Amino acid sequence: MYKIMMFTGGVYKFNELKELVVDIGGFILQEMVMQTETMLHMAFPAEEERTIRAKVKDVGGKIKELPLAGAEIMIVVPSLGKHHAVDPMCDIAEFLRRNGAITNMMGLARGVGKRIAQITTEEKAIIEECDAAVFVFGDFKECIEEKAKLCESLEVPYIIVGGPPDIDIPHYVGSIGRRTERLRRKYEIDELQKVADALGAALEERRREIDEDPLASSPLFIKEMLDQELPPKAGEEFSTIIQLNGLRVKVEPGDEEKLKNIEIGNRKLSEICDIKESAYDGYMVRIHTEAVTGSVY
Amino acid sequence: MEVKVEGGGEFSNAGYKKICQTIFRDTGLQSNIDSVYMYCNAAEHMFILSVKISRVSNPVKVGDMTVIGGADVIKVTNETYVPRLLTMLWDDYGDRVEQLSRLEIKVKLDSIEEMHKLMNRIVYDPREDLNIRILDGMDRVLPEGARVRYSVPFKGSVTIIASENPIKDEWKEKAKAILSSMNKGEA
Repeated sequence: MYKIMMFTGGVYKFNELKELVVDIGGFILQEMVMQTETMLHMAFPAEEERTIRAKVKDVGGKIKELPLAGAEIMIVVPSLGKHHAVDPMCDIAEFLRRNGAITNMMGLARGVGKRIAQITTEEKAIIEECDAAVFVFGDFKECIEEKAKLCESLEVPYIIVGGPPDIDIPHYVGSIGRRTERLRRKYEIDELQKVADALGAALEERRREIDEDPLASSPLFIKEMLDQELPPKAGEEFSTIIQLNGLRVKVEPGDEEKLKNIEIGNRKLSEICDIKESAYDGYMVRIHTEAVTGSVY
Repeated sequence: MEVKVEGGGEFSNAGYKKICQTIFRDTGLQSNIDSVYMYCNAAEHMFILSVKISRVSNPVKVGDMTVIGGADVIKVTNETYVPRLLTMLWDDYGDRVEQLSRLEIKVKLDSIEEMHKLMNRIVYDPREDLNIRILDGMDRVLPEGARVRYSVPFKGSVTIIASENPIKDEWKEKAKAILSSMNKGEA
């Protein structure tokens, strides 16, 4: 199992750290060098954490766990109107990104109100392409209880965020209701942390399920192969997004065949994955379990 | 500005009180509103928002936001209404207006009397768009799903009943009761 962490520090021996990550079988997910400051998202085998920490101590930087890393989260609000955006929708998204998640934001077409609130099949399909969803449902207990029914049919883990601190519905995190100002105070940050923790717990359960029936190949390894075959264009960020059991890949028109034929071990990508066009963006690559494909190496 | 929210539960009342305060502050209406009363009944999805209007600020004249800074030149002392001032000057004086710098505007006038006349011209009268700004603020406060609206007319205040369902007569009575208690200073 891979552990994903973030390193921040200076340029001193930065390359040595990167080499060490690769040497122990890890991956560099994201790297940023800003003059003398560096930032690195890295994934490495969990048992090698001590080696990495020792190196970071030697290099003189800081290392932080990213509990939501490797997951794509959808933040869903009843609409993209001024009642829900930018606060608290963007505050939640930003906080989750700081915990390592890749976030998307979505306003439902007919999500407002209580009795009239709806979610369409297409919206549901888009949400289910992600690893988890966070629904932000406002201040009123009665409305949240009614809207919670919309989420019940979802097949991905989800969290419902609302105002009243205690409502007896599953996956509920309270104390973040409708806001017109940025969540920046200490107690507000603590409330955001509760959302991230609840989401982290839901994702951890999903990770454990995947560990019990492991995938044919790690999404991290497939990303590495993808980047070699279809290198991202200069300046392009997140052309490939890692998910818990697959990837979202944005390829140029005409490159679809190349994508299917990428070699992973002794198989082609299309043999060990379901590849289909996303309802939202790019292509969804869903990796089969090893039990289905057999060993690929 | 006094804000009172009732009927929505402890957390929702506190939340909407804060929302009313920030929205009316952001729309620049804080000094124009005497009191705000909101009644929330989320179980029936009915919301009543009543705003009692207090005094309206005086019109802003050219002399209130600028000073004479030499022959044919006015210097801006308050930039808030400069876009409106420039629009007014361009409309009235055309090519005779020249913006020398961020805070200096040259207007070629024939006499000093004309300059004094200019200084008394009204740039912005808050009364003009007060209703529009109040309605915009109320629209931002009321829940987005409550799209069926009914306004209760009363002198000196704006009251709106909002719901996702057809407006019932009993709600109208409730709104009228709120209005009368607001005007007696009870709500």
